[in-house]
Amino acid sequence: MSVGFHESQITFGFHESLVTGHESLFITQGGTHKNMPRTVGIDLGTTYSLIAYQDKREGRPKCIPGPYGTPLCPSVVSVDADGSIVVGEAARRRLLTQSERTIYSVKRLMGRGPADVQDELKIFPFRIDPASKNVIRVRLGDRVFTPPEISAFILRELKSWADEYFQDAVTRAVITVPAYFNDAQRQATRDAGRLAGLEVLRLVNEPTAAALAYGLHEKKRGRVAVYDFGGGTFDISILKLISTTDGDIYQVLSTNGDTHLGGDDIDNALQALAREEIQSQGVDLSAHPDALQELRKALIAAKHELSSESRTTVKFPLPGGSVYFREIARVEYDRLIHPIVDRTMVPVRQALADAKLTPAEIEEVVLVGGSTRVPLVRATVERYFGRAPHTELNPDEVVALGAAVQADILEGGVADMLLLDVTPLSLGIETMGGVVAKIIPRNSTVPAGAAEMFTTGVENQTGIDIHVLQGEREMAKDCRSLARFQLKVPPGPAGLARIEVKFLIDASGILQVAARDVRTGEEHSVEVQPSYGLDDAEVERMLEESIEFAEQDFSERQLIEARNEAESVLTATHKALAREQAEAPGELSAEERRAIDGAVTALRESLAGTDYKRIRAFVDVLNQATTPLAERMMNRAIGTALEGKNLGQV
Amino acid sequence: MNAPITTVAATTHCWKCSAPTSGAHFCAGCGKIQPLPPGTDYFAFFGLAQKLTIDLEALEQRFHSLSWKLHPDHFARAAQEERQLSLDRSSQLNDAYRTLRDPVARVEYLLGLAGMRREGQKKQQAPPELLEEVFELNESLEELREARQSGGTGAQMSSLRAKLEAAQHKFELLLSDVDKELARVRSEWDAALDSGADETARKKLMERMNEILNRRSYVRNLVNDVRQELVTRDS
Repeated sequence: MSVGFHESQITFGFHESLVTGHESLFITQGGTHKNMPRTVGIDLGTTYSLIAYQDKREGRPKCIPGPYGTPLCPSVVSVDADGSIVVGEAARRRLLTQSERTIYSVKRLMGRGPADVQDELKIFPFRIDPASKNVIRVRLGDRVFTPPEISAFILRELKSWADEYFQDAVTRAVITVPAYFNDAQRQATRDAGRLAGLEVLRLVNEPTAAALAYGLHEKKRGRVAVYDFGGGTFDISILKLISTTDGDIYQVLSTNGDTHLGGDDIDNALQALAREEIQSQGVDLSAHPDALQELRKALIAAKHELSSESRTTVKFPLPGGSVYFREIARVEYDRLIHPIVDRTMVPVRQALADAKLTPAEIEEVVLVGGSTRVPLVRATVERYFGRAPHTELNPDEVVALGAAVQADILEGGVADMLLLDVTPLSLGIETMGGVVAKIIPRNSTVPAGAAEMFTTGVENQTGIDIHVLQGEREMAKDCRSLARFQLKVPPGPAGLARIEVKFLIDASGILQVAARDVRTGEEHSVEVQPSYGLDDAEVERMLEESIEFAEQDFSERQLIEARNEAESVLTATHKALAREQAEAPGELSAEERRAIDGAVTALRESLAGTDYKRIRAFVDVLNQATTPLAERMMNRAIGTALEGKNLGQV
Repeated sequence: MNAPITTVAATTHCWKCSAPTSGAHFCAGCGKIQPLPPGTDYFAFFGLAQKLTIDLEALEQRFHSLSWKLHPDHFARAAQEERQLSLDRSSQLNDAYRTLRDPVARVEYLLGLAGMRREGQKKQQAPPELLEEVFELNESLEELREARQSGGTGAQMSSLRAKLEAAQHKFELLLSDVDKELARVRSEWDAALDSGADETARKKLMERMNEILNRRSYVRNLVNDVRQELVTRDS
């Protein structure tokens, strides 16, 4: 049989076809990519994470699909009772059944201290361990983890997808971060990479990555605004795309954003509204965390509906038997989320001012992030810039694709593209009176540096304290504390010691500090104490501990997951059939019954084997066969609740 | 006759092949990236004389061209020493570009190099010729703040804001005048360099520039203060 590939590139395997039982060819690519150290691009998002690579043959970046066939990995992590870690779609399901062992949107906690997230705690079910000091520790079941550790689980999951896809280990990555992430948030991301066993070559700002993917795709030049509205963060970047004789330059002129603003806020607005109305129906959901997660899921579905429909209906069965029935029109939805969308325009205006440009001078507008699917967002952006934004590229994938391009640049695969990014926040040192002296202004192209001279103020002073901060305010107390360090000096008269400290913000936007005694010319060691992060010793310790968690083989885990899913779907089907028999015998047609029985048998058979893909496929078949049954049951449940009530009472 | 370009001591040698490098970015012999000799100023980095009028387009082109050569992205697979050198050089490049690109920062930098940058004794001290205007402005600012706190009427707030807006406009004009003055002195400086003016003449020019910078800084702070107040929304 001729297949048109060079033999060394493919391995053959045989796979029973699902429906017909015929054997068919199942081809995987392996061969040529073996033994080539591969750098991948990773979008570690608030809601979804993705991993991508540059396909050399096709000359374009591609996302790597996971076990469910989609490249989107929900950024959800769950810890089972036996201590095993579950990530992604399987973890997302556990939100509904084991919410106290599951966490979503952990990105909101990265690089922040317990005091910073008090507001978030009111609306997110984060269980912060009381022992948390400057690093947050989250409780999942009876275990405690820091946000970088949780993010590392997500990264490890993505890494395993890539390892499987390439049939080879992936060890180097480019990871994206919101452009407006500060130093502590970036360091936390880099720590997560390390904990996941990845060498993080570079952190790339999300809007810049999107611009790379977009530029490659569109081959346009000019002034571009990237409006990136994700699950938990908002970024706006203004870029100049230029062609020079050396190649294409992507130069960021300015960037701004809000690391506390995203689609989550829209979800929370809907939840607040729903909970209030449910409360007035006499039901308090705070005692039902699982039901709260179900409500959240239903409202997110409604939100998605409203992106394409002018109205949607929420039908949510409440604990206790009643139903929350709510129609939401687009008009009302827009009014509800208007303040959230308005908030995004504040950084937009500031970024344009910093770039010294007017909205009309922007030639292209690019939308990135799932939350840009909201019609009000699109309309607002279009009105402000006076032009229709570009949405051709999949807003979910574009950041990961751009990261893959950057990975390729670093590997030397691309010599004619250059990214010149900026630091989003001014870097400063605290001086007398608590005033901040800015040493590197915001929107400085990185790498950026500054050198400051320090000396002693009093006789026999043995240490010089330096407090480094990020932010735009005058006073240190209003800025973000990055780190403190002390320069040790031998005793002597005041003003004798002269130590030059060099501050360097690298291409990832992370601060490096080096000190030199000017008089001796010797390097002076600097021990930096991060204000909100893990220090190196802690990361080392975590790395050692993580080796103890012998990770199960990828396929083994997938098999266990698939089996669990199958069992739960079989049980649910069994119960549903029994219930239907009791409540409405005769509703179920013989044809339907045959389809369900057939699917059940096929699924049971597949469970005897070890092919997790096959088990999953039959789970889908059974779900499809039981959809009419489920709908009927739901309608009956709502009907009973509505019986005897008029719409006004619902 | 053109002003001489600042030269860096020709005693620098390549760390790899030992060829003399004269402070160049890359060794002419083996091509390896070089460390920055201490005392290289931003003008020399771009191969420019210490003149205050710069062709911005040419500067940007040079910036882009140097970025291609020095950026860490193109050293990702090189040895550790080269990566660190690239980091140092490209941060110097970015700092130099940022400074030389802005006409005011350019002057500040030049004065700094010569040790002639002396900021106003007290940052808050108004230059004598502006005393009256500054006094009036501070009065208006106070009035607005007080009215805001004690809940002034809509009409009151409007009239106070209008007063402040007029003051802002006046100071913005003043700022623009100062900038024009600075531009004139910049040209004078360049001419002086070209005609080989002596140190006394150059020092005098630098003192003038220093005074203008101080005045500019003061006026600009005023303009910003007013802008801040006006941006604050009054409900």
